[in-house]
This record gives sequence, C-alpha cells and structure tokens, in this order.
Amino acid sequence: MATLELDSITKTFQDGDEEIVAVDDVSLSIDDGEFLVVVGPSGCGKSTTLRMVAGLETITAGTLSIDDRVVNHVKSQNRDIAMVFQSYALYPHMSVRQNMSFGLEESTDLPDDEINRMVGETGEMLGISPLLDRKPSDLSGGQQQRVALGRAIVRDPEVFLMDEPLSNLDAKLRAEMRTELQRLQNDLGVTTVYVTHDQTEAMTMGDRIAILDGGELQQVATPLECYHEPSNRFVASFLGEPSMNFFDVTLEGDRLVGDVFEYPIDEGIRSDLGDATDLVLGIRPEAVQLVDAAGDHEFETTVDVVEPMGDENTVYLHFDPDVEPENASTLVATIDGFNRVSEDDTVIARIPPDAIHLFDRSTGEALHNRSMENAADQIDL
Amino acid sequence: MSDTEPRTDGGTTTRTTRLRRTLDRMTVEDVGLYVVLALAAAFYLVPIESGLVTSFKTGTAIIETAPFAPPGPSGLTFEKWRTAIDVLLRGMGNSLLYAVPATVISAFVGSITAYGLTIPTWNKSYKALVLMLIIAGIFIPYQAVLVPLTQFWSQWAQLDQVLSFVWALGIDEDYVGIIELVITHVAYGIPICTLLFRTYYKTMSDEMIESARLDGATLRRVYRRIVLPLSGPMFAVVLIYQFTQIWNDLLFTLVIVSTESSPAAPVVLILAGLGSSLEGQDFALRMAGAFFAALPTLAVYIFFGEEFAEGVAA
Repeated sequence: MATLELDSITKTFQDGDEEIVAVDDVSLSIDDGEFLVVVGPSGCGKSTTLRMVAGLETITAGTLSIDDRVVNHVKSQNRDIAMVFQSYALYPHMSVRQNMSFGLEESTDLPDDEINRMVGETGEMLGISPLLDRKPSDLSGGQQQRVALGRAIVRDPEVFLMDEPLSNLDAKLRAEMRTELQRLQNDLGVTTVYVTHDQTEAMTMGDRIAILDGGELQQVATPLECYHEPSNRFVASFLGEPSMNFFDVTLEGDRLVGDVFEYPIDEGIRSDLGDATDLVLGIRPEAVQLVDAAGDHEFETTVDVVEPMGDENTVYLHFDPDVEPENASTLVATIDGFNRVSEDDTVIARIPPDAIHLFDRSTGEALHNRSMENAADQIDL
Repeated sequence: MSDTEPRTDGGTTTRTTRLRRTLDRMTVEDVGLYVVLALAAAFYLVPIESGLVTSFKTGTAIIETAPFAPPGPSGLTFEKWRTAIDVLLRGMGNSLLYAVPATVISAFVGSITAYGLTIPTWNKSYKALVLMLIIAGIFIPYQAVLVPLTQFWSQWAQLDQVLSFVWALGIDEDYVGIIELVITHVAYGIPICTLLFRTYYKTMSDEMIESARLDGATLRRVYRRIVLPLSGPMFAVVLIYQFTQIWNDLLFTLVIVSTESSPAAPVVLILAGLGSSLEGQDFALRMAGAFFAALPTLAVYIFFGEEFAEGVAA
C-alpha cells in the first residue's frame, strides 16, 4: 500500500525528425488505497501514462514517486507493482497455478509450500480453485481474466495497474466483473490505477477519475464532480450517455442568441461569463424536460426519433420542422419510459436555467456549471 | 469389382456407385490434371527408386536391366549394403560427433542472440546494426572462406597443440578436426539460426514478456522460464535444418579433415570415394552407401516432424 505521485510527467516519442508528445505535463497524486480511473479516447496517452508508472516506458521529463521514493530509474521488477493487461498476457505453457506462482517465485524468497498456500487462498477468493491445474488455453475469456487478476493479487503489491482489463469481455460479464473488481479493491485496499476508454467504467468504479485528451490532463475529480462540474467542454461531452447537447450561442445583453433559439439568463449566470460573448451552451439530456406550457426557457420542438430503452426513452428533438432533419439542430432528451411520445409529435421542451453549462467557444473552458447543490437536489427528488 | 456382379453386400454397392459417380463427374481437365500430377510424381521419384533398386543389384544385373527396373531373383544381393555399412559405420560415428553438438550449440546461440535482439528494450538503432551484420553473415559463400578457414586453424588457432593432453590419453590426434568442424559449423550456423528465431520471437506477445518483467523476473529468467519453453516448434525447424546442412556438408570436411583414411573421417568424406576404383564405378555400392548415409537426416525429420510443421506454420 502506497501513495503514487506523478509530477509533471511528460513523454515524447521520436518519429523520424518529428517529435510526438504522447503525455504532456501530467501531474497526479494518488492516495494510499485510492482507486483512480484514467479515462480518455484512444490515443490520449492514458496507456502510455500507465506504462510509465509500470516502468515499461521511460519518462522523458518529470518525476514519478511511489511512497515518496523517486522511481524514475528503478526497473519494473523492483517497483513492487502488479499489472493486469488487456490481453491478460498469461503464460500459455504454464498451468493456472504456475502462472500465479511465477511472480512470487521470481520476486520473493518464499518457500514453495508458502507460495502454494497463497496461490490457493487467492484462487479461492476469486473462485478459480477448480481451474488451478488447467492451462490458459482451456479457459474461457472470463476465467482467463480472473487468472490475470489473481496473478496480480497474489503478489500483494504496493500498486495495482490495470490496462483496460475488462474490454475483452462480453457486456454482461463486464458488468459483473466491474462490481467484483470494486469489491476486491475495497477489501484489499491496494492503491489502484485503472485505465479505460469506457466512461461507464470510469463513472462507476473510481474514487476519482482523471480525464486525459491529447496527452493533457483535463480534470481530476470525483465522478460526480466531473459529471456535473466539468472543467471544459471535452470533459462535459466525454462523460454521459447520451452525450451532452451543445449549441453555439452569442451573448447579447441578457440573452443567449443561437441559430434556432434565444435564451434569457439571469444576473447570476451573467456574472460568471466575464467578457466572453462567443459561447457554447450545454445541457444534459436528462435535464431537458417535456412540459405543457411555453415560456422563456421552453421551446416548441418536433420529435424526430424515439429510442425506447425500457426505463427511459431517448428522444431526438428538432427546433425547426421545416429544415431537413439531418441539417437541423437536434436536442437530445432522456425522458421517462412511460411518457409516450412518437415521431413527428410537437412537444415543448424546457431547458432549465439551473441545469445549463456555458463554455467559452474558443478555449472550451467551462465558464458556468450547474451547481452541485442543485444537482444533488434533483437526485434527491 | 465390376458393377455387373450381383450385389451381395452393401459395402460393395456403395463403393461401386460412389466410384461410378466420381467417374461421371470427371471432366477432361480433371483427367489432364491427374495425368500431369502422376507424371510429375514419377519424374521426382524415379531417381530415388532407381537408386534404391540399383543398391540391391549384382554387377551383372546392373548391366542387364534398366536402371529403374527391379532386380530379378538371380540379380538380387544384399552384399553391397553390408559392405557400405561396414565401411561407413566408422564415418557415421565421426559425423555424429560433430553434427550433433554443432547443431545444438548453433540453435541455442541463435535463440539467445535472437532473444537479445528482439525482446529487451534496447536502443533500436543498435539492434538494427547488429542484426544487419548477422544477416550479412548468411550471404557469405562457403567457397569464399575456405582459404581463411585453413589459415585460421593451421596458423592462428593451433588447437592440436592446445589439446596435447587429450592426445596423451590415446585419442588419435586427427580428432582435432572434429572439434574444429564443430566450431566452424556453429559460427557458420549462427546467422541463419538467429534470423529464424528472431522471426518467431517477433510474433510473441509483448504484453506477456512485460508481464513477466513486472512479476520480478530478470531478462535471463524471462528467457529461461518464458521464451525458451515456448520456442519448441522453432527449435524443431532449426534443428532439422542445421542438422541436414551440417551432416551433408562436404566442403568444410574436405578442408579441415581432408583424408578419408583418417580415423576421424566423417561419413561424407568416405562416401565420396566409396565404390570408385581404377576398375570402374561400383554403382550398387555407391547407391547403398548414399542411402545409408542419408538415414540419420531422415530420422531427424521423422523425429521432429510434428513440431517442424507447427514451427513452419508460425
């Protein structure tokens, strides 16, 4: 168990004469026993960051410390970390038992019967005891995944590193393993860095999430903070399914003027914006409400598509019925599953002022977020 | 089994009808294809068949019958095989003495070199340079090194003097040639072995190796416990290839051991002179000798056949 500190970590690759910055000045501090999820789209540098922590990539600049010990130049095998790979990376010629003992045999002086006992215990904890004498090729994907996990757990390392460990599983198994991993990490209390491109995993699993894009750290915060108080437009659009709605608007006096609507704002929001006038208005689909009466913050729209999900419906709304659907501005709303709307219905959509986000159009920086208190109120309701 | 016969059992019926159906479906192209295939097979097999039947013929039978025709009862003899085995057995032993160690050592050195050039995270430009030099070694023709090789063993590395204590034990001094052959063949085999193993190691999962490193294994332990146990199929390929090469090589043995009368003469050297004399060629004896000398390479193919197929596919 240990703390992990990344201080201005940078990684550049040389590609011919070109220098590619894979990770740009990332600083992160992970507490003892914390579960940090690093999330971002493909090629954002999240795996490279993890591999630098593991010692599989050299660090171009910055310092990496485990428990206040700088480990930049410490070899992988001496960092006391265990890693679970996306491909599981099991040793195909060894049985499950040998796969799990390998790390203990190589990194400790424990006697064989002690190693055997520890492997047995871990096997039991993960429910893979009956598989211990089989070869990896005889196991299903889910079982191999457990073995890969067991191989990491049995070593009782200071830090767990996980590189998209669930992405090769089918949806149902993935959901199960997600819960189980969280439970295991809670029980073991080992500092964990978990890399994924899946925002559901990021939202549900981590104590905190770190969102990377283009090698740069966008935000580090609890999942709810990232969701409700994104630091910029990228974070806002990356988290949440369906994604947040965005509309380009211009501030004119106390109104936000967009292509298809005008939206009055109060002084509270106005004061957050400073001098910026070119803005992007963001609204989460679940914050959009369908109401009966029109008003300042209510807009008449036409239903284009309804996607029933059972408990809720995702509806795609158009502001202007005369414009071809593919060119029109679309507002996505998530509404109750029992709320029956069908295509081409005219409905009134309310964009509540306390739920809107405003971003600077050029920098993408968040100028105004819905307040967490309001969000919490809504969850309570 | 004509189909006009009364059909008494089911097996015959189905077999006959199936045959007829197959024949019905045959087109002119099919017939042509099979004829060409049969001719090609015959073309490749006739020399071997001729050699084999010749080795069992008496001198008169060789003159009287066609080369590929089997010997008649009067022309059949096993005498030539007995002579060939008698003469060659000594050389077989000598050949095994250098072919086996040279094969095994070159395979292992090639495997370790390839591991070093593939898996550890070295600077790529160093790797490329070393690999380039090694690959260049594959293209040096045997003929080009014959003179330097003789000079090396006769003037630079005088092994026979270094090993004088061995000769004192009563082993013939000519056996220094066997040791020189081992070293020469290992040196000559390393480039191709390295290349073959490198191709194989490049397909190994990087994550698996990284995982072993993170598990605390050193580079040497990763090789010993992960890479080497997984190299089986490629070892089969390399062992078969190297053994055949070394066993059949005449040029180096001619230069290093040189005389067939030497007690250390390898089988190829004795075989070269077998059955030739001033009176003419003893074809039967030469054929018997050739087949006998080829037996070990055949055995190696059969022994590693399954792994060989897997390794070639990889």
